[in-house]
Amino acid sequence: MDGIIGDYREPTDAGPRVSLVFYPGAFPVKWNQCSATADFFAEYFAGVGDADLGEEAARRDFVGSVGYVLNELIENAVKFSAGGTVEIDAGVEDGEFVVVVSNQIASSSVDALRAKFDELVHNDPQELLMQRVEENAANPELSTSGLGFLTMLSDYRAKLGWRFDAAPGNPDNTLLKTTARLQVNPHA
Amino acid sequence: MLDTEIKGPGYRIWCDASSRTVHFEGVLRLGTSEFKPIEELLDRVLADSPPALHLRMTELQFLNSSGINMLYKFAISVRKKSGTDLHVHASASIPWQGKSLPNLKKFLPTITLTLD
Repeated sequence: MDGIIGDYREPTDAGPRVSLVFYPGAFPVKWNQCSATADFFAEYFAGVGDADLGEEAARRDFVGSVGYVLNELIENAVKFSAGGTVEIDAGVEDGEFVVVVSNQIASSSVDALRAKFDELVHNDPQELLMQRVEENAANPELSTSGLGFLTMLSDYRAKLGWRFDAAPGNPDNTLLKTTARLQVNPHA
Repeated sequence: MLDTEIKGPGYRIWCDASSRTVHFEGVLRLGTSEFKPIEELLDRVLADSPPALHLRMTELQFLNSSGINMLYKFAISVRKKSGTDLHVHASASIPWQGKSLPNLKKFLPTITLTLD
């Protein structure tokens, strides 16, 4: 069951780094808390590190891009969490923002997710996005848009990777780690 | 087209009937089902078959992928209905707008997108 799909890389201590752990067993994580958390990381990393974000436009782009990608990752982690913690570990190094978001999922969902991630890494995200939106329009009862990873890939040029491991202490669950990397200043 | 308003924590969507404009303001990061009332508002506005319809996004700081899905689907609805010109007013200084709104043209080639 273990394995890696896509371009997987975790942050190291080479640059500024912050980790945050939610223990949602004790409280429900709400959508606007995902948003606030994403914005915290975006604002924090815009103010530290070696990236030249002196220009207002570059800073705005960084905060908007990191905020968007991280909000999507945290929403996913909370939405599909099957118990345990939700962890966010992020840093800026070598001109890139790097984040890994970890959560436990039901092991029964691993095969379907694996197929979905394989499809994402082996096809043109623009094409997939077009198809998916037309499908969503034709099936208004669908409860998820499926556009999170597709917009990250096609509109933000994010590099994405996933890793499956056994969940500590729960044989029915799998630990899913999702990584995303963004260029800090893509217009420089 | 009726004057209508949908409000929640940190966001507001409202219609100005006289200018046939739907205004989006604030931060819209909601679940897919929470976008339903906004989707219905857009559908109602389109059901009147106005010759032109405006979406003003210049005050919308953030939109998540569920909201982007709603906009793209609305563009498809306008394409399928035909007879209504859709104008989207956006801001180049709000990053998500410059990155994700140009895709609207793929779903509705006749759309007018202004990125000021």
